Amino acid sequence: MSETIQRETEVSSGETLVDVENLKTYYEDGGLLSDEPVKAVDDVTLHIERGETLGLVGESGCGKTTLGRTLVQLESATAGTVEFDGTDVTKLSGSELKNWRRNAQIVFQDPESSLNDRMTVGEIIREPLDVHDWKSPRERRQRVRELLETVGLREEHYYRYPHQFSGGQRQRVGIARALALSPEFIVLDEPVSALDVSVQAKILNLLEELQNEFGLTYLFIAHDLSVVRHICDRVAVMYLGNIMEVGPAEELFADPANPYTHALLSAIPEADPQSDKERITLRGTPPSPRDPPTGCPFSTRCPAKIRPEKYRDTDDELWERIEVFREVLRERDRAERSLSERARALIGMDTRFSDVDEMHEELFGDVAVPPSIQEQLDAVEEHLRDNDEAGAIDLLREEFGSECDTETPAHHEVSAAGRTSLCHRHKDEHEEPAEFFTHTVFGEQ
Amino acid sequence: MSETQSDEEVPLRDRIAANPRPALQWLAGAIVLLAVEFGAFIGVIIQLALTVVRLLPSNPGAAALASAGEAAESIPTLLTRGLIPNQGYQTASGEWMGTFLGLEPAYAWLLRVVLIYAYAFVWLGWFWVGYRWFRDHYRYADWTPRDDVVDRLRSHRWGQFGFVLVLAFFVLALFAPALGPTTVDANIQSPYTHYTKYYDDEIESVSNVTVGTANLGSTSQGAGGENVGPWSYDDYGRFHPFGTLTDGKDLFTFMAAGARISLMIGLVSLMIAGFIATALAMLTAYYKGLADLAAVITSDSIQSLPVLLVLILASAVFGNTWIANLYNGAVLLIAIFSVTYWPFFWRALRGPALQISEQEWIDAAKSFGQKPRVIMQKHMFPYVVGYLLIYASLTLGGIIIAVAGLSYLGLGITPPTPEWGRAISAGQPYVATASWHISLIPGIMITLIVVGFNALGDGIRDALDPQSEGGEETGGEAAVAGGGGA
Repeated sequence: MSETIQRETEVSSGETLVDVENLKTYYEDGGLLSDEPVKAVDDVTLHIERGETLGLVGESGCGKTTLGRTLVQLESATAGTVEFDGTDVTKLSGSELKNWRRNAQIVFQDPESSLNDRMTVGEIIREPLDVHDWKSPRERRQRVRELLETVGLREEHYYRYPHQFSGGQRQRVGIARALALSPEFIVLDEPVSALDVSVQAKILNLLEELQNEFGLTYLFIAHDLSVVRHICDRVAVMYLGNIMEVGPAEELFADPANPYTHALLSAIPEADPQSDKERITLRGTPPSPRDPPTGCPFSTRCPAKIRPEKYRDTDDELWERIEVFREVLRERDRAERSLSERARALIGMDTRFSDVDEMHEELFGDVAVPPSIQEQLDAVEEHLRDNDEAGAIDLLREEFGSECDTETPAHHEVSAAGRTSLCHRHKDEHEEPAEFFTHTVFGEQ
Repeated sequence: MSETQSDEEVPLRDRIAANPRPALQWLAGAIVLLAVEFGAFIGVIIQLALTVVRLLPSNPGAAALASAGEAAESIPTLLTRGLIPNQGYQTASGEWMGTFLGLEPAYAWLLRVVLIYAYAFVWLGWFWVGYRWFRDHYRYADWTPRDDVVDRLRSHRWGQFGFVLVLAFFVLALFAPALGPTTVDANIQSPYTHYTKYYDDEIESVSNVTVGTANLGSTSQGAGGENVGPWSYDDYGRFHPFGTLTDGKDLFTFMAAGARISLMIGLVSLMIAGFIATALAMLTAYYKGLADLAAVITSDSIQSLPVLLVLILASAVFGNTWIANLYNGAVLLIAIFSVTYWPFFWRALRGPALQISEQEWIDAAKSFGQKPRVIMQKHMFPYVVGYLLIYASLTLGGIIIAVAGLSYLGLGITPPTPEWGRAISAGQPYVATASWHISLIPGIMITLIVVGFNALGDGIRDALDPQSEGGEETGGEAAVAGGGGA
């Protein structure tokens, strides 16, 4: 589905340097007991053009760092391809991989942890050159001195140890190390988030200067949206291993398409204390990447989730309670039951999963429930009393679910600049997220 | 230090050539120090080679080495019993014959001991001066993290106390032949082929007697006159700084030679165990997963065995095989200690190694294609070696105790090769008599040395890791020291 869009953007833009197709990176770290892998990156398709800065934003744990690490082959991809200048680097190994590594480098988030304290700064920056046997040792030393100057340090820092530097200076050393092999592509993994605010701007400016000087291509991973807006040409918004929206930065910030982007952007603090901008607050926490929701990854928390036809006019308050009810059941289903609980359920004793009435009271006690909905809820609770959680969840989905719960949305193209967004609401038959928010969240004031 | 310096702008050799004065002075110091003891150094090297050669099946070149050793003995050496002899006899007039400058044997011996220790500490000073001069004249970096370690160690009194004790022990072991009032060969191994002169009052002349006979006349058996205590002469005019053993052999000579064998066993088995543990720690921390699991299971299996019982069992089982005869049984002990001690080290190193393997500089090195072996060596090992040093110094005391413990039980080192535990065992019946020194002195020495190694370990730990000061890790230490205790 997304491939068609991909082709179009390629035509409309410059040369593609990195082309990621259906990339999946799963972590199988559960050991013997859990068989579900952590789906850190789940089907990501995007491309990065030569010379541009692509911003990658999202909440902590959404997989953005894993995506960045997979692009430089620090993690191996579970499926999909990463084409770099036409070669699929996920298939490379041995000396081919080593040679390719010259082209793609990474700058790490924490400058305290990314430099080996037992080596001098000169040795740290020289190491990549030594590994790739770059020219003669004399030329390597000369190159290190040049690099030190390039990143705003001084030549005599060659024999200093990282201990003797501040965080900002250490990050400069990390950048110099990444630049040593003259790569084309650099992944910047939150390069300024560990730094003092006054230093952040300097490092960002340095990165921009370096990009102009050496024609570098950046993947800029961040959770600070204002930094991203400042430095990036295009932005990709990531949620639960999926790219929710990707497109030109200015356009995306000015007129977000995806409900998740709306929510993220509404969380940027306003400098104006008088501002009474409404915020879209998201319910709960992101689901576990071990067990992502079927359908749209954002469906469990989406404030603009599509309702089934017959419930369009249901009271918002009640609808939210129903969504919470569904989420509670999902969470509880995922929570592992202990052996004794399973045994108790088998012989029909009370388990911690059986306090259905209490839950009903808490969720629906103070809202008016129309008889048609009450009937459905009663049927669901019947399943719960029989310890049939799966049945209850299925029933809820059938009755109150929509395509958001069942079908993975397509990457719809939402602007002439080739911006795409992962949401069912971009289909013709539905209201666009922006319109929806105008008359719900923003319209209520 | 040298490896960080090797690839600098100007090689160290050129930097020395540019300013040769300090280096030459330093080297001259070494030459002078070496020259006065040249014969002894050659002797030690030949003896080491001889030990190794004798372990090989057909003893290739053993004879040649032995004759070379004899030749080395003829090289004039400053601090030998030949130049400062303490063995002689007292004529009727009370005059000492044959001793250094006619001094009383006790003072002649003491002079030699003081000179040897002074000599050893001059060497220490030489190393220190070398480090300072290197820092001041040749090193590019004006500061390295190691400087802080050295500075912290310089202000760590407890660690220095341990260092001095350990150094004293090393000197005792290293200079054992020159330190003893007599030699192992003459006094302990083959007393009936060596003779000693004494002034016989009855016939009023100097007589010759075998050392064995003299030993029989100077036993320490507690009761009556049968005792030669510390700092005393026996009937044959021989001086015994620590007294004699139950069979009349000199305790100090016995102790000095025993220090050698204990240290040898301790150091070699620690090196083997440390090597296995470090290599495994690097591999398991880098690759994790199955490699780690396999190492955990293996080490757990070994650790679940009670070390002392295994030692006793193995000593008994292999006691009559060819292995037990290699180097008086030391090789067997080394093998057992290596096999049983590496899991303790590996356990201690695994945590730090795993922690280091999660650092981002490891990822950085991977990202530009560094080889796993180099990553382990360059980016992980330097952070783990400190822990290895700490645990090694804490465990060495334990091994010395364990060797002594085995000898005490009559296992381990084959008699008559000196071993401290055997002295303690032999003196045990006389603890409450006049011959208390036989057990007490080796006992105190063992205690001092174990304290010394532990103090040194504490010092190294505090120097490497200033945060640990205050002793939160005492539990771990106690476990390590206890692990070695027999």
